[in-house]
Amino acid sequence: MKNALPQEIQDAIAGWLQAGEIDLFIGYEAGPVPLRATPAFIREPEDVARLIWDATCENNLTTFLQNYRGKKVGIMVKGCDARAIVGLMQEGQWARENLRIVGVACPGVVDPRKVACALGVAVDELEDVCLDRERIAVDGHVLALDDMLHDTCASCPQHTPEMHDTLFGAFDGDDIEPDYSHVRAMEALDADGRWEAFTAEVSRCNLCYACRNACPMCYCNQCFVDRTAPRWVNQTVEPRDVQFFQIIRTFHLAGRCVGCGACTRACPQGVDLRLLLDKLRLDAADLFGYEAGVDPEAKPPLATYREDDPNDFVMG
Amino acid sequence: MSESTTWEPKILAFLCNWCSYAGADLAGTSRIQYPPNVRVIRVPCSGRVNPMFIVEALRQGADGVLVSGCHPGDCHYLAGNYFARRRFALLQRYLEYLGVEKGRVQFSWVSASEGARFAEVVTKVTNDVKALGPSRRLTIKAAAPASQAEAQAHPGGAE
Repeated sequence: MKNALPQEIQDAIAGWLQAGEIDLFIGYEAGPVPLRATPAFIREPEDVARLIWDATCENNLTTFLQNYRGKKVGIMVKGCDARAIVGLMQEGQWARENLRIVGVACPGVVDPRKVACALGVAVDELEDVCLDRERIAVDGHVLALDDMLHDTCASCPQHTPEMHDTLFGAFDGDDIEPDYSHVRAMEALDADGRWEAFTAEVSRCNLCYACRNACPMCYCNQCFVDRTAPRWVNQTVEPRDVQFFQIIRTFHLAGRCVGCGACTRACPQGVDLRLLLDKLRLDAADLFGYEAGVDPEAKPPLATYREDDPNDFVMG
Repeated sequence: MSESTTWEPKILAFLCNWCSYAGADLAGTSRIQYPPNVRVIRVPCSGRVNPMFIVEALRQGADGVLVSGCHPGDCHYLAGNYFARRRFALLQRYLEYLGVEKGRVQFSWVSASEGARFAEVVTKVTNDVKALGPSRRLTIKAAAPASQAEAQAHPGGAE
């Protein structure tokens, strides 16, 4: 299997399992869907050989950590995913000593919809797919991998995870500055234009909650959308319910969103949630000098305060 | 019948029990006049105001929302308003970013002894919201034609 993990990584994971240092390892394995690896939950050392790494390993696996509180877990993380672990540690959800982290330098993951679009077929019609680090071959057609990456990866500022026990892979490009031009473009509009842009972007949302389910920081035992007393969000696709959901879910991530892009990649309707979440990330940095997912010791900005916080927005 | 002559804004005010609510009370007992457009909800602390309440108020048809609490440093619960201030700083920018007009959602600090200031705050918010006109964004009433929504809101003026 050419996309199997390097032998020394396999040995490390098997060793952790054997020694009882971890109860299970969360990684990727080949799945039934074209160009989408599926999460693998490995409990036996002999199953480690099933694990893979390639550009189809899209999921942020740290989302699954909420199911294994109290256990010792090994996990594979990309640069973006590692920030979510920092976020979970900041909020007291996980202690570093209960995690064994396999970091992988990630050049970006592939968007099956872009591939299907380029070939003029539906995603589930993609057949005979194989890919290496530069190219994707689908049914005789060859595409450049770089053109087929998710938008969230094209502007990725952190390809190599900072937090890890062992690291493999190499990213040979340069780390770039994060791209917030979409936020700045929206800020430049007047109120009518911003409302237009916001409502147009979320108008495709049909409240499937895939964004919430993919988000590692959305770990509430009961989400506000599932509450029935009071019922905040009706199960409709009325714009008012959709807008309410999108505003409140994203605001619940204010100062917490680590910008991994898992929600945007998970959205079946192609809603670009970065338009909302990046604004909150920028404002958290601007108002409170805080960046989520960087320093495990830092307190999330809405869980603390300073007496000299900005006050000029309050009526004079 | 033009809207500007008959329409009066509905403004929801979340007032903290210990300062701003008492300030509103003082304005009343001192017979200070202020616009009757505010509907007050008393909350234990400005820190109790969930951002969901504010967005929900707009959705349910409020034309403006005011949140008022104790001055920083004066919180009955020591730090509730400090936490609230961080939340609201982000929320106000965020709602503006999404296209909710500047001035629909406002924040103030009013102490129990500032009855006159409470009247000033309410007057300013009412004037700001009047200038903006009826809320058309996020609200469930936006779908109805303006005249109809207005007729529902003020049936023959006999509310």
